[in-house]
Amino acid sequence: METPKASAGTVLIVDDDQDMLNLLSTWLTGAGFTPLLANSGGDALRQLAISRPDMVVTDLFMEEMDGMTLVTRIHDENPLTPVIMLSGQARIPDAVKATHLGTSAFLTKPIAKQVFLDEIHTHIRPRRRDAAGAFERSLIYRSDVMVELLEQAELVALGDVTVFINGETGTGKEVLARAIHDASRRRAHPFIGVNCGAIPEQLLESELFGHEKGSFTGATNRHDGLFLAADSGTLFLDEIGDMPLGLQVKLLRVLQDFEVRPVGSIKSVPVNVRIISATHNDLEALVEKGEFREDLYYRLNVVPLKMPRLAERPDDIPLLLEHFLAQNAARSSTAKKRFAPDAIAYLAAASWPGNIRQLINAVELCTTLYTGDIIPLAMAQRALRQQPVHIKTLKDAKADFERNYLISVLRISEGNVANAARLAGRNRTEFYKLLNQYDLDAASYRDGAAQE
Amino acid sequence: MTDRINVTIDPDLADLVPGFLNNRRRDVEKLRVLLGADGFADIRLIGHSMKGAGGGYGFDPITDIGAAIENAALAQDASVIREGIERLADYLARVDVVLGE
Repeated sequence: METPKASAGTVLIVDDDQDMLNLLSTWLTGAGFTPLLANSGGDALRQLAISRPDMVVTDLFMEEMDGMTLVTRIHDENPLTPVIMLSGQARIPDAVKATHLGTSAFLTKPIAKQVFLDEIHTHIRPRRRDAAGAFERSLIYRSDVMVELLEQAELVALGDVTVFINGETGTGKEVLARAIHDASRRRAHPFIGVNCGAIPEQLLESELFGHEKGSFTGATNRHDGLFLAADSGTLFLDEIGDMPLGLQVKLLRVLQDFEVRPVGSIKSVPVNVRIISATHNDLEALVEKGEFREDLYYRLNVVPLKMPRLAERPDDIPLLLEHFLAQNAARSSTAKKRFAPDAIAYLAAASWPGNIRQLINAVELCTTLYTGDIIPLAMAQRALRQQPVHIKTLKDAKADFERNYLISVLRISEGNVANAARLAGRNRTEFYKLLNQYDLDAASYRDGAAQE
Repeated sequence: MTDRINVTIDPDLADLVPGFLNNRRRDVEKLRVLLGADGFADIRLIGHSMKGAGGGYGFDPITDIGAAIENAALAQDASVIREGIERLADYLARVDVVLGE
């Protein structure tokens, strides 16, 4: 018996011409898609309310509700649903308006079968084939809240829309950002992350936008900056809520024009970068207090994604425990340990104020201190009692800052230790000691070598 | 005897094509009635639909005739519409469908 093939995706076709519906439906079925048919905008909205098609194809010129209105209504409900618009007229103003409304493609009828199917594949396939794989490789989940979040993230990955991730410290915001990049068409290009809260304002400006040689004391070389380093890829601005107000204006300008002007330069350089930003702060509250620019907030917050607290996804905790136990065993070349069932139940019900980072530490503590194969409840309880680790010690926080500072200085000086030491106000010997202390290698910051 | 017109059609559309051509024959009748009543808005809609679907089914002349009728309806040019209707009727009377790639 032949095994039925899985559908390549569900496509809602909207047209008030039955012959067009029949034609497109036949083409889609032949290519392995599941078509849903609507003969008006109203019918389409009713179907969208009860089903979740992976894509909508709509005619522009319809009597009851035209395609532009329908796209607006669809995106009011779900801004991430890809929509292809068909029109009998190749009119540029219509194509421009459709693009502004967020359509993925604007095609003129009559349309050739292959052109139509190519467009469908272009906009639907990455979700099915590449995006899901990237998320499954990077994130461990089975909870409904994560499934819903990652469905949104998969759609986001298809396009170039600016993404804003909010979530508590330790929830995995950067992991999500990287997964979106890996699932996007930009995945062959760099993903570069920067912690906006860990770098002093002047350095951050140079770090982001670059600088010209001689533009400030210690700037002995030209530096491209992270926007240019991330060209064609993704720039992840972590802890965006901590970005100084002065820099916020400059960032806004870049996001409006997609051009950067290095410090000390009179020329702007075009950049093609997808921006994903994140913060644990309540950015709206910062806007109200005047600590974050409202215009920048709206520019960044195009598609908001909320990373849930670990306590909001207890179904995932057994999977995560299993994953980190296996990881620890592989790292230490020892047999994999297990948690006793009552220990798993206890950990799944815990409040985890330090989120996944705390869970990783708890697993580490248990596997280190418990020598048996099955970690008992008492050990799990002890691990959590000993771990209010979500707040870093002052020493650790200072060390984090110092390390990020050194990385920035190395980037700006392109790995030249003498210049980096001068920028940092240290002699070379002291600076080398600091690099050793933080396990940093100046050579990896030279000539475009891979950077963290 | 008038010449026949052979059109090669995607076999996947074999079940749809007879219905599509029948709908165009009905369009001929509707257009004649509408033209008699100066129903230019409805004529435009029919022309627009023919233009959009014809080529997709493999009948490029139906797209061309539909475009001419749509434009003429916008201009309220009855003589061009009449000419389009007769071209459509003639094409439908002579077209033969051959299945193939």
